Amino acid sequence: MAKKIRIILTLQLPAGKATPAPPVGTALGPHGINIVEFTKSYNEKTADKAGQIIPAEITVFEDRSFSFILKTPPAADLLRKAAGLDKGGATPKRETVGKVTRDQLREIAAVKMSDLNANDMDAAARQIEGTARSMGIEVVG
Amino acid sequence: MVDEGLTSGPPDDEGLTAGDTWIELSVRADLEAVEAVSEILSRFAPGGTSVQPGFELIDEGLGARIDPNQPAIVRAYLPGRDRTAARLAVRQAREALGHLQAFNLRPIGELDVSVVHEADWAHAWKAHFPVLRIGRRLVIRPTWRRHRRRADDVVLALDPGMAFGTGLHPTTRLCLAGLEHWADEGLCAAARVLDVGCGSGILMIAAGLFGAGQLVGVDTDPIAVEASAANAARNDLVVDVRNGSLPSRSGPFDLVVANLIASLLIALASDLQAELRPGGRLLASGIFIDRERDVRNAFESEGLRPLRRTAEGEWIALEFERSPI
Repeated sequence: MAKKIRIILTLQLPAGKATPAPPVGTALGPHGINIVEFTKSYNEKTADKAGQIIPAEITVFEDRSFSFILKTPPAADLLRKAAGLDKGGATPKRETVGKVTRDQLREIAAVKMSDLNANDMDAAARQIEGTARSMGIEVVG
Repeated sequence: MVDEGLTSGPPDDEGLTAGDTWIELSVRADLEAVEAVSEILSRFAPGGTSVQPGFELIDEGLGARIDPNQPAIVRAYLPGRDRTAARLAVRQAREALGHLQAFNLRPIGELDVSVVHEADWAHAWKAHFPVLRIGRRLVIRPTWRRHRRRADDVVLALDPGMAFGTGLHPTTRLCLAGLEHWADEGLCAAARVLDVGCGSGILMIAAGLFGAGQLVGVDTDPIAVEASAANAARNDLVVDVRNGSLPSRSGPFDLVVANLIASLLIALASDLQAELRPGGRLLASGIFIDRERDVRNAFESEGLRPLRRTAEGEWIALEFERSPI
C-alpha cells in the first residue's frame, strides 16, 4: 500500500505494561490510532523485557493506520545498570548516587548510537554523560 | 482534550485542579537533551513519556527523517487527583531541569504545565472514523458504528489498525470508486482479482462484496496478512494473502488493483502486466500528479492501453487494459 506518513513519535513505556492511559492515550488518540491494538501488540512484543523501559517509535500514516518498531532502552536505564543502581534509584538531588567509567559511557553510547540522532560517537557520549550527571551519576576515569 | 487555558491559573497553583484529570508536563528540548529530559520527567510519571521529534518527509512521503535542527517535545503525565503531590512533582521536575542546563547540553525550554481531562482513552480515537460513503453505493463502516442500509448499498465492515487502507486516504478512495465502476460494467462478477500491496485488505474485500469469485493479495508487510484475513472474515469472505511481492504465481487475473506509489508502479510495470489475462484490467493508484506521465509511459511501454483517469486532490488513479489478443 501507498503508506504516506503523517507523523512520527516515540513512547517510552514500561515493557509489557502499556495501558491506554496517558502518555499512550494522549499521544495516539488525537491521531486516530487504534490504541488498544497498539497496547496489545506492544505488550506482546515486550513481555519478555518486564522491568525495563522499552521505547516504541510509532509511524502514523495519512489514513490513520500505523506501525511501530521497538528501540534500545533509554540511556538512563543502561546507566543505572552500569552504575549498579536499583531501578528507580535516581534522585533529583545533586549528590552523587553512583559512578560509571568513561569506557562504560562509551559502551552505552555505542548501544544507543543508532537511536540518538547523534552525528558521531563523541556527540553520543556527550548526550549520555549529560543524562548521567543529571541523574547524580559521576563519570570517572 | 488538552485544556491549555488552565495554565494561566493562579501562579502558585499552576492550574492544578482536582478531579478526573491528568497533569501534563511538557518540555521543548534539543534532540541532544531528549534522553536526559525524558529521564527527569519519568521520575515523576511512572507511566512513561512521549517524545515528538521534528521530522521531514523523504521518498515521496513514504519515509521520514528526524530533523536534528528542530526541537522535540517531551511529555509526561501525573494523575491529577492528588493535588499536593502533583504540585511537589512539578516543583522538583522544574528544579531538576534547571540543573540539567548546567550539564553542557544544548537548549532546553521551560517546563510547561497543563491539565488534561480524563477521557475514555481506549475508545476516544474512534471519533476519527466515521461511516464513509464512497462512490454511489459503497459504504465503509467501522465495526463499532451502525449504518442504516439503503436498498443497493454495499457495506464493507472494517477495523482500522496497523495496516494501511482505512478508506480515509484519497489513493484508497480512488481505487474503491474504480472497483465500483468495474462492478457497474459487470466486470467484478465471478472475477479473479489480485490486490498488490493489499494492506488492510480493503480493496480486495470490496471486490469480493461486488461479486468477485477469487481474491488474492500480496504485501511485503507481514501485518497485512493477518489484517486482511481478519477484515475479510468480518465481511464473510475468504482471501488468499501472501507476505511478499510479485509474481503472485496465481495468475492470470481478470482484474488487478495496485495502490502503491509512482516509483514502485514503474518498477513493477512488467510484473503487473504479466499478472493480467488478455483483456484484463489494471487499476494503478497512489500516483502523485507530477509522476502521472512517468507511470502512464511505463505501462504503455508494456503494451497496456490507458482507459480511464480519475483524480482526488493531487492524487491520480489510472486504469489500463491488456490487449485482448
